[in-house]
Amino acid sequence: MTDTLKSICEQCTHLLDPQFEFIPSELQRHKEIILRDIGEIVSAAAAGQEKTVTVLAGGIFESVLYSFIQGQIEYIAVRRGGSFTFDPDGNLDNYISIFNRWFSEVFTIPDIVVQYRNFVHINQELQYPSDTCQIAAPEMLRLLDALLGKLTEYAKS
Amino acid sequence: MANLAQLDLRAKGRETRIRALLEDLVQAHIGVRPQYRMALAVWFDISPDGDDQFLLELMTGAPFDTDAQDRLPLLWQTGSEGSPYARVRVTSVDHFTSLLRTDPDQVAPYRRSYEVLYFDKKLLTPEVIEFFKIITEPPGLVKGWYLSESQYQMSNNIQGLLTRLGSARPEVGLVKTDESSDFANCRGLLHVEVSGKWLPLSPEGIRSYTFYNDWQSGVRVHFLFEGGSLYQVLKFEVKTEPEYVGRLLGRTPDDRYPEVYLRAVHAPA
Repeated sequence: MTDTLKSICEQCTHLLDPQFEFIPSELQRHKEIILRDIGEIVSAAAAGQEKTVTVLAGGIFESVLYSFIQGQIEYIAVRRGGSFTFDPDGNLDNYISIFNRWFSEVFTIPDIVVQYRNFVHINQELQYPSDTCQIAAPEMLRLLDALLGKLTEYAKS
Repeated sequence: MANLAQLDLRAKGRETRIRALLEDLVQAHIGVRPQYRMALAVWFDISPDGDDQFLLELMTGAPFDTDAQDRLPLLWQTGSEGSPYARVRVTSVDHFTSLLRTDPDQVAPYRRSYEVLYFDKKLLTPEVIEFFKIITEPPGLVKGWYLSESQYQMSNNIQGLLTRLGSARPEVGLVKTDESSDFANCRGLLHVEVSGKWLPLSPEGIRSYTFYNDWQSGVRVHFLFEGGSLYQVLKFEVKTEPEYVGRLLGRTPDDRYPEVYLRAVHAPA
């Protein structure tokens, strides 16, 4: 018997009790937005809404990375030999590639996250079998929870 | 092995900085013409001490079917017009591919001391991938999809499954580490795509995936691979195998891998 989306979410300790030490303190509005979206994804998971969870999780991935990377500009600049310009007009794909390049020791985000988030476009979802959200939603929840956990650990280290 | 005194840290630092500046330029070019997409950027004839650095950009689309060349200041972000400069050659993937076939001498200089800074595998031809030795998957990798129990039960034959899943991008890869002589059983390492490269899953990483959790919950788990191999998962076993590193594009931090044991099955009739 597979777990329900609700029970999976109940095991996601970092989603249920998010810590935002990895986001710079001045980005208060960012934290509020992420917190609101996490609240909504938890509700959607409790209601078994697979499509909502899949797409919203992708949005939260983007928000988390957008905020986290802004706090790491100096670190990335040093690793790049002097400069790094954060592009606020980037997208999930860009932020994942920056993250995987400079923080792969912390966590690696698979490309499937972008593909599942792109289910917001009907032409993308149509390329997959009809019940793919059943697979995607739990995976997105678990990956997001794991990312939040690793970033929290990183911020405390 | 070189000791610290032998390392030229200043030269290393300059190379890192030039690479970063070229990457910034490439990123800026990616968004310039939304109707055409950047497929490849290669830093070639690398000489970090030189005033001129050489960059090849391959784009999709017909307007780039001639070799255009620009000389751009690499410190453009600071407003500086001075050195170092990037000499940027822009052409299309199709044009470059045809040069590879018809005039290999003309493209040979691009492979002189080069480094691929950016690529989008989907937009490149196999010839370009081969020419620049862009390695995105380990030898022997087969790609496929996880079939949920309901997807498996709904399937009558392999062809039907391939038709249903074929338009979706493969989500898992398998590098076999052992196979029985009758091909009925095998074991191997599962991979996922990370920034365009297929990397092995770690014992920790695999826990996020639905197929693994379904299997742990006692559900039958099947994978369908391109070409039509259909397997049922028998078990996962975590092993420490430092010697696998030579066969893979990445390694787990402690060389521990969750090896999957598979049995070939037929689609339910």
